[in-house]
Amino acid sequence: MNDRFEIPASLKRNSLALIAIGIITLLIGAFTMLGGDVYDKTRFWIVLLHNSVFFLLISVASIFIQAAVALAQGSWIVAYRRVPEAIGANVWLFGIIALVIMFCIVFGFDVKGVNPIYEWVHPGNDKILQGKSNFLNKGMFAGFSIVTVGLWAFFGRKFRAMSLAQENAPKNNTKIYWKFFRWSGLFLLVYGLTQMSTTPWLWIMSTQPHWYSTLFSWYTFASAFVSGMALILLWVVYLKNQGNLVLVTKEHMHDLAKFMFAFSIFWTYLWFAQYMLIWYSNQPEETIYFKLRQQGPYSVLFYSNFIINFCMPILILMSRPSKRNYFTVTFMAMIIIFGHWLDYYQMIVPGPMGSHWHMGWYELGIFAGFVGIMMTCVSRTLARTSLVPKNNILLKETIVHLS
Amino acid sequence: MHIKYESFVREPLVNSEKDYHQVTEDIISPIEKKPGRMWYVGFLFSVALLLYGVFSVSWSVYWGLGTWGVNKTIGWGWDITNFVWWVGIGHAGTLISAILLLFRQGWRTGVNRAAEAMTIFAVMCAGQFPIFHMGRVWDGFFVLPYPNSRGPLWPNFNSPLLWDVFAISTYFTVSLLFWYSGLIPDFATVRDRAKTKFRKMTYGFASFGWTGTAKNWQRHEALSLVLAGLATPLVLSVHTIVSFDFATSVIPGWHTTIFPPYFVAGAVFSGFAMVQTLLVITRKILHLEEYITIGHLEAMNKVIVLTGSIVGIAYLTELFMSWYSGAWGEQAAFKWRILGPYWWSYWAMMTCNVVSPQLFWVKKLRRNIPFTFVMSIVVNIGMWFERFVIIVTSLYRDWIPGSWAYYSPQWPEVGFYLGTFGLFFTCYFLFAKYFPVIAVAEIKFVLKTSGENYKRNMQAIENQSNEEFLHEVETDHASHEEVAHH
Repeated sequence: MNDRFEIPASLKRNSLALIAIGIITLLIGAFTMLGGDVYDKTRFWIVLLHNSVFFLLISVASIFIQAAVALAQGSWIVAYRRVPEAIGANVWLFGIIALVIMFCIVFGFDVKGVNPIYEWVHPGNDKILQGKSNFLNKGMFAGFSIVTVGLWAFFGRKFRAMSLAQENAPKNNTKIYWKFFRWSGLFLLVYGLTQMSTTPWLWIMSTQPHWYSTLFSWYTFASAFVSGMALILLWVVYLKNQGNLVLVTKEHMHDLAKFMFAFSIFWTYLWFAQYMLIWYSNQPEETIYFKLRQQGPYSVLFYSNFIINFCMPILILMSRPSKRNYFTVTFMAMIIIFGHWLDYYQMIVPGPMGSHWHMGWYELGIFAGFVGIMMTCVSRTLARTSLVPKNNILLKETIVHLS
Repeated sequence: MHIKYESFVREPLVNSEKDYHQVTEDIISPIEKKPGRMWYVGFLFSVALLLYGVFSVSWSVYWGLGTWGVNKTIGWGWDITNFVWWVGIGHAGTLISAILLLFRQGWRTGVNRAAEAMTIFAVMCAGQFPIFHMGRVWDGFFVLPYPNSRGPLWPNFNSPLLWDVFAISTYFTVSLLFWYSGLIPDFATVRDRAKTKFRKMTYGFASFGWTGTAKNWQRHEALSLVLAGLATPLVLSVHTIVSFDFATSVIPGWHTTIFPPYFVAGAVFSGFAMVQTLLVITRKILHLEEYITIGHLEAMNKVIVLTGSIVGIAYLTELFMSWYSGAWGEQAAFKWRILGPYWWSYWAMMTCNVVSPQLFWVKKLRRNIPFTFVMSIVVNIGMWFERFVIIVTSLYRDWIPGSWAYYSPQWPEVGFYLGTFGLFFTCYFLFAKYFPVIAVAEIKFVLKTSGENYKRNMQAIENQSNEEFLHEVETDHASHEEVAHH
């Protein structure tokens, strides 16, 4: 069962083409926008921020799912666990990209003494921002971000390394299995203190620094997690089409589709909880967030967000046959990733850009570039080892797995 | 037949030598015997508590709610605290039956029956509090929205308190149906073994004439699937809507968006703790250690440390946001909560819910039965304080310093609370005596994959190479498909 993945020429070509599109877009963007007015400059940076944060968080979801499954002793993922491992092992790259972009914005982006994206960098006479400055300041931002990305990158590589080490362990030896278990517990702690709390406050919520919501980080988690599962599904389908992943059956696809279905609803649950409570209590300092999005210039995105990320998954993925149909699940995975990319867009962009938002060549070009990076580096990692974890303790269970 | 296989790395779910008959024997025979002395002592004590509760409630209804300690500032006290506490406890059962079923967690089969029963009893206890909190309880039917009897007067559909009426009654109904439908095959087993005429008749009634035919099972499975599908969103909805009772308001400490998921996590946390409390005792008294193994207790302790930590993140998030918000009302609410005259309740909550469950990171402690028992009680004390903190310490320092107040419960409130313990344990004692406390049919379903004696025979599979095993599975599938085609 030696299942090696050889990167097809077409994948190499396409992913490099996407990266090229991304770079060209970036260069054109730099030439046309950085010399423009404040909104042009902001657009240049904020689109980079949006994409880098989105791609980083959906990659980290792959580390999270490995940890969660290890703790629950799930065997369903074993048939294709190399995929989340490979995505997780590349978190460092997305992490560095995001860090570079965020540091450029925090430390270098300045328009006449104002930071148009992270307004808190210069609190000025704003009493509220002054009050938050013990948390919202450059040092705190840099420290939290570096530690967070460092830990994520470490765990992503550690998990893959442990899983590969199992291949050389004696048959049915459980030492690494339990070691993985313990590290997974530790990762959940790290994840809880980063993605589920502090990180989204600093990176995303602080683009509208007067506004706050306690649920915010959990909401970003749901969004990132469901798109992370969709990303895994796309890779599994792709590899399956290449003739790899022989152990993956419709049962396994069904599981992934169930995750996309269930967590789309979970995302909606959090979406509703946050929206309804703010709407109901109707306090101006809170409703300002939705005022801008629902009734302001972003209403198209606001409603699309809900339709794409809730109505479509619940209607299309509800039935059992649709969760076992390769075309349907692939289509829905792409929809979900796009939908949550939009969701992140409308979390990050409205604060700084106000009514001057765009969804055009620059936004899509940068997105393409990130997709290209994801395709290139994950496929390279995948090609390095056999795709079947032959010596995994739960391999035989995944063979008899029924969804 | 699908190949019965489970990895050796998993602990058996049923220990020692068991076959189908032995399973029936072990679980059903306590029903057929006379209960021990301890059962009578416990049962009578519970009934006595229940009667004291009835007395306290009658007193409150007769003299009015002025007999309680609640006042104008602190309008919700022990009553609503206890309501939320009991509803929260009533989450574990359906979570185990529905959500763990969806996540294919095999260990649920050992504990689901007792947990579901416990859920139903806890929801019954919870329901008492809002009803008697109405004061003029004879007007209680006003919460039901039916037309043409009260002129233009309708319940306020915009109020989460009304949503609660629907959420909890729906949850109760579905949980009861789910529980009962699972009991039907087991009741039939009791009936078929019955030696006395009366027992045969009553369990015959209770089992709805179940005969165990393929058609019976097919319908049973279909029903279970529908109910599990309904129960899953319901588990989330109940405590979500309970949290709306607070979070839709504009009261600092109540109005916070994290409440819905955090209430659900806390509910699961306390529910699992209550399941532990009950099962640690039940397994001992009914000699069910081979079915409710240390592995089961450990699994639940893992859920407890997970949900306890989630709740911990939520507490810290709330605390942080009260500062971050820059809103003085928020900041003051948390200052009074932590450092005011009720400081002890906040710190009791933090210690019991967040700090002490962290001990469950240690495997030895997760598998230690006395420690598990003590922790299960600590957690529920902590969760009671959580509700007390949310309710009382958000209210007692309100917007007008002149109306600041302090609240202590009066004896009818305490009696009411004790009475619900009486109700809960009376029901549980009856359940443990007359009902199969473990789902016999479901244990049989996992026995041949997860029973210790069956797992021993799987050693041959463990030694097989992956290729051989895969080949075997594939030919197995192929042969079934052939049969199906014919």
